[in-house]
Amino acid sequence: MKTLRDFAVGQTFQTSRTVDRYRPIYYAAASGDFNPIHIDPRVGRMAGLGGAILQGMCTYAWLTDACAGYFDDPVRVRKLRARFVKPVKPGDTVTFTGRCAAIEGSTVRVELEVRNQDGVEVLERATAEGLIEEER
Amino acid sequence: MAIDRKHLGRRYGPFRFEVGREHLRDFVAVTGMGVPGRVSGAPPTGAHPWTWDDAAAAASPHGGLVAPPSYAACFAIEPFAAACTDAALGIDVVRLVHGEQAFEWFGPIRPGDVLTTTGEITSLRERGPLDFVEVTTTSSNQRGEAVVRGVWTAVVRSGGFLGVLLKARRLLGEDR
Repeated sequence: MKTLRDFAVGQTFQTSRTVDRYRPIYYAAASGDFNPIHIDPRVGRMAGLGGAILQGMCTYAWLTDACAGYFDDPVRVRKLRARFVKPVKPGDTVTFTGRCAAIEGSTVRVELEVRNQDGVEVLERATAEGLIEEER
Repeated sequence: MAIDRKHLGRRYGPFRFEVGREHLRDFVAVTGMGVPGRVSGAPPTGAHPWTWDDAAAAASPHGGLVAPPSYAACFAIEPFAAACTDAALGIDVVRLVHGEQAFEWFGPIRPGDVLTTTGEITSLRERGPLDFVEVTTTSSNQRGEAVVRGVWTAVVRSGGFLGVLLKARRLLGEDR
């Protein structure tokens, strides 16, 4: 397990996720978000979105997972915020790129960019904090 | 049409949620790029092992499975969902999108935890044709320890041509 010494300002990390056709349906089942815009392509088309879109909170979950990977423990993720700016659809590949921006005491702050395969930002102003406690 | 500011401070909950091991593992299967369920399920390949692998979790500093932070979406959302569908606010959910999300986590969430979430409308703002509704939620476990605080922001497009168009499409749509 990483210790505080393993973190340094400027470090980067990256993960990516490709949205398969059924992911919004799986996410609906697990989260309870059955808004038809996520599970029925016809409703997505009616809303002018060209089909079903993934729940924003699923993309957000991948963002937290990227941070949990970098912090090396899901429980170390202590703060996260992001704006939802563009829909994510089945077939899209979303890439999460994080950069360690600051280390203050036991707190590691990261800034993230979240873009689709066309380079378009889908989550904006994503920032996270990890608490790296040395003793347990 | 702006949402009446008298609703600032309106409260929702408490909502109770018991964290089940199988539900937690299903959630992790979904976000970890596996498949949920016990029929055609597949394990997550992209999730942290301490959130789904019993053996790895038992050997971890947490001594057992812990929820991924994003699991908060399953329970802490309730006051936000209640506000968005509250007849008193009169929001047309067709014109609503989730605009921004912030969380602060204070400690682990484990299978068997009984979580209680309450929420409050903490901001109502209007900017041009958009209304911003902010709900702040607090979730505590069975020991009374706060486990997660969420700030949920919905953006609602006001009436106008687009709203009328969407409403008409909804009413005339083939599914309705």
